[in-house]
Amino acid sequence: MKGKYHIVVQNNRLRYEFDIRRNITIIRGDSATGKTKLISLLEQAASLGESSGVEVLCERPCRTLGGNDWNLVLPNIHEQILFVDEENKFVKSQDFAAAVKASDNYFVIITREDLANLPYSVEEIYGIHTSGKYHDLKRTYNELYHIYSTEVFDSMEKPETVVVEDSNSGYEFFRAICDKNGIVCVSAEGKSNLKMVMDKLGSESALVIADGAAIGPEMNELYQMMCHKPKIKCYLSESFEWLVLKSGIIDGKMIQDILEHPEDFIESRRYFSWERFFTALLVEHTRDSYLQYSKNKLNKTYLHEKIQQEILDVIEAKFILSENI
Amino acid sequence: MLKIIFGEVENSIYHPPTYFDNQYEDEWITEPLTVAMIKDIDKSDVVGAHLIESPVLGPISTKEISGGVKTLILMAFDQSGRIFNASACGDNCVKWIVELGRKKDLTINLHHVMDFSSVPEFEAVMLNTGVVVHSYGEYLEEAIRIKER
Repeated sequence: MKGKYHIVVQNNRLRYEFDIRRNITIIRGDSATGKTKLISLLEQAASLGESSGVEVLCERPCRTLGGNDWNLVLPNIHEQILFVDEENKFVKSQDFAAAVKASDNYFVIITREDLANLPYSVEEIYGIHTSGKYHDLKRTYNELYHIYSTEVFDSMEKPETVVVEDSNSGYEFFRAICDKNGIVCVSAEGKSNLKMVMDKLGSESALVIADGAAIGPEMNELYQMMCHKPKIKCYLSESFEWLVLKSGIIDGKMIQDILEHPEDFIESRRYFSWERFFTALLVEHTRDSYLQYSKNKLNKTYLHEKIQQEILDVIEAKFILSENI
Repeated sequence: MLKIIFGEVENSIYHPPTYFDNQYEDEWITEPLTVAMIKDIDKSDVVGAHLIESPVLGPISTKEISGGVKTLILMAFDQSGRIFNASACGDNCVKWIVELGRKKDLTINLHHVMDFSSVPEFEAVMLNTGVVVHSYGEYLEEAIRIKER
């Protein structure tokens, strides 16, 4: 399944309105914001249809998934948006992750737990709050908001240390820039190691560069660490490959068009997370050219001054890494 | 004293709201502590043991209060010896968990690193390691190092 879907769920007292655009969306946040009520309304609508008095407006069918027989039910559901409530412990399992990966449905999962087996994006972790725009006396309007405020991410100061999630091409690229600018560069060798590397940092200012497309399971802990150690900042683009594509060094209106609305191009069953799509896109569009890209080993062309700066310009709208390269 | 244990643990209730629906006692609901927690978290008023007035939903049954408050009520009044999963509580429940832990021995189970930053100073025993923490900062540093979730 691909595409963005606008969803409205309402009865005469409550209205939920939001968009879903990736295979995995997480809803969490404070108690008493209406998460369980949303599931309850969807269950009633799925079970009784119009006679439930609940209206569900969406281009795709919306239903809940839960209980011990989820794995028997799921293979028979296609191209739908499935909501999973927090009581379902199976969301943490490897079996569920494998089922999501093979599925052509979108999943909206209500949980505060960090689902290490699922590669969800920092952009798709939401809370629910009451909309100030439409609130009226009769009906409460609820909408989704990004849980992780980007304010703690931004910094215009040059860091003393850069921590890169990648260990291959992405790391080689940033290490080269850091070496030129007297910045210590460390590879965390994977997103699950980031928090331990951050924990070991002293009082120095640090910038963590990670792939936002799949960093979701780490975000709760990384975010708390950033708030607790304010000299640690975080840059989360979709992935290093996305940065390269975004920089414009590879010609083609089509690439920029895809980057404008990737959800319309990324088939969820083929790409478990968007970073895999951007890698495939970059590999495909640089094949047999001087910019031929490999994730395992950085093509030295990417370290040429002009190309390096063009990629860096995408980051330096928010972060300063270099005085000049 | 508050005791925190991360990960799977025997005798714990993973989804306290369901347990609450089937085990709560009427007299818990009208206790001043419960009335205050429902007012603070759900912004709702306890009319009686069977009726809550919600500003959003109107008059609702006790079973329709939030999962977070249900979990807090269990932590406060349940005598079964069960350990309740505090990952069913939002961060807006943290001050009540800390307060309950100051009044009695309270063991909670967590499957995520709950954000206690709204209560900068509190004491808790991290049962996975035996370390006693005295502040949010100490809690966070210890929690990050614990592998169980």
